Amino acid sequence: MNSDASMPVTLGYVALTDSAPLVVAKELGFFTEHGLNVTLQAQHSWSTLRDKLHAGVLDAAHMLAPMPIASALGLAGPACDVMTPLVLSQNGNAITLSNAVYDEIAATNDFSDLHLPLSANALGAVVAQRRKQHRAKLRFASVFPYSCHYYQLVDWLASGQISLDDVELVIVPPTNMVDALHCGDIDGYCVGGPWNAKAVRAGFGVTVLTSCDIWPNSAEKVLGVLSQYHQRYPERVTKLCRALKQACCWLETIPNRFESARLLSGYDYLDAPIDVIAPSLIGSCVVKPGLSPREIPDYNLFFSEHADVNAPSLQCAQWLLAKMESTGQLSKVVASEVDLSRIYRSDIYHQIFSS
Amino acid sequence: MFCFVPSRFYVCLATLLHVDDMNSPSRLSILLIDDNHARAQAFTAALVESRYHVTHLSSATQRLLKDVDRIQPDIIVIDIESPSRDVLDSLHTISSVAPKPVVMFSDEEDTDIINQSVRSGVTAYVVGDTEPKRVRSILDAAVARFGEYQRLRQELDETKHALAAKQTIDKAKRLLMQQRGMDEQQAYSAMRKMAMDVGQKIEDIARTLLSVLNHLDNGK
Repeated sequence: MNSDASMPVTLGYVALTDSAPLVVAKELGFFTEHGLNVTLQAQHSWSTLRDKLHAGVLDAAHMLAPMPIASALGLAGPACDVMTPLVLSQNGNAITLSNAVYDEIAATNDFSDLHLPLSANALGAVVAQRRKQHRAKLRFASVFPYSCHYYQLVDWLASGQISLDDVELVIVPPTNMVDALHCGDIDGYCVGGPWNAKAVRAGFGVTVLTSCDIWPNSAEKVLGVLSQYHQRYPERVTKLCRALKQACCWLETIPNRFESARLLSGYDYLDAPIDVIAPSLIGSCVVKPGLSPREIPDYNLFFSEHADVNAPSLQCAQWLLAKMESTGQLSKVVASEVDLSRIYRSDIYHQIFSS
Repeated sequence: MFCFVPSRFYVCLATLLHVDDMNSPSRLSILLIDDNHARAQAFTAALVESRYHVTHLSSATQRLLKDVDRIQPDIIVIDIESPSRDVLDSLHTISSVAPKPVVMFSDEEDTDIINQSVRSGVTAYVVGDTEPKRVRSILDAAVARFGEYQRLRQELDETKHALAAKQTIDKAKRLLMQQRGMDEQQAYSAMRKMAMDVGQKIEDIARTLLSVLNHLDNGK
């Protein structure tokens, strides 16, 4: 047996609903089955997760899909050859607005009930009115500059012709989102689970649309590893990918989704009630207390028989790169020179899963 | 232990940029974000009677941007495990708050490895503990490196800008030569005269000309 089999792997993640494949692979023994001794290490910020991966303190990490590209390009700090051989999930984010802003939208647009998914035009009317009345700009939060949350928020605002000059965009850690919304520091946010359901259950906000309503199915979290790590331990990366994809497949059925919610709710992981974790996992978007949830079958997508959700496709990387460029995070020149096939490694993925 | 990672936190510090002399008596304010009170106290104590003035926040997360704006610190010191790191990381990317150099506390044995990796970037600094002399020298080095980094960055930006301006002017000149049958000197003089007449920079005139001439060209 290869010596890799007994070697430990330290896997970093951020405690979110879509860390399910990692938690499932650990708790159900898929890593062990593949001969790996994996330690899961929760990280409190994406920056620290990134720095530790760059430094080799973490061997691999549950990363936001744009992060390997940002690392490879050195957009935030020194460039580092981070690549992904596996997509862990698609979708999973949603936009939640404060009750006050929701009421303002309803009043301004003469809505008597909710039109969901909410059109950004309805918000645009509020933004325009506030500008006319010289009132404070609305402030929206996401979790990290190089995240789908941020690009989805920007795209949604743009769909309502809302200029970024007319609102304020800030970064708030997910753990502080609900409180920040409640005390009026922010008026809304785009974030992943369980933080949308948490605000709704607490009665602090209304989840007006999900990322599925903004973008077609698109990679949300990926497995990030350094290219050097892969060169040194190809067998370990293969086993990691196999165990994690096995967990993604296992997450296909509704009973297993419930079971994963139970695992995630534990103290070691999300330490949150099942009623805020389970909904998105079973394809249900809780909107507002007293209203029936919206059915969003692909809310958290880990695997599909119809499409290869887990392959890190070049198309997906190009989509993300275009978003980075359109939000001014990198120049056209840099964007045109990036070799994305070295970052989104579908070649490694296909090599692993074709044999 | 703590380590210094300024490479992704930028500009501000008009004051810092001029602090070339490390013996300068100018006061620098530090925003310390740490839930570990014992460590925060040791850190603050290490800086008594120094040029650093410490403001301590324990759980600073949700109003952090406001606090940065209000306190206008010259340096931020934060626990590497704090969720607020992402807020600081975003200062120059999407927020209008002026970025600051950041020094990070870490209790981890991994600090050396992290520092080694960060050092490969623009600046980084390794530290041992909250022993007063060490703390001061780390902060001094952090300030110096950040200032140096900002200067280099500014130079690079200026060079890039100058190059882009020259390219725009050359392009406008060529278009004038093609479309108006001027020679190079005439084209340049025409643009310079326009710039002087309207009180604009010649590159702005070139940009306007390009847009107008291209538009006319497309309309043909």
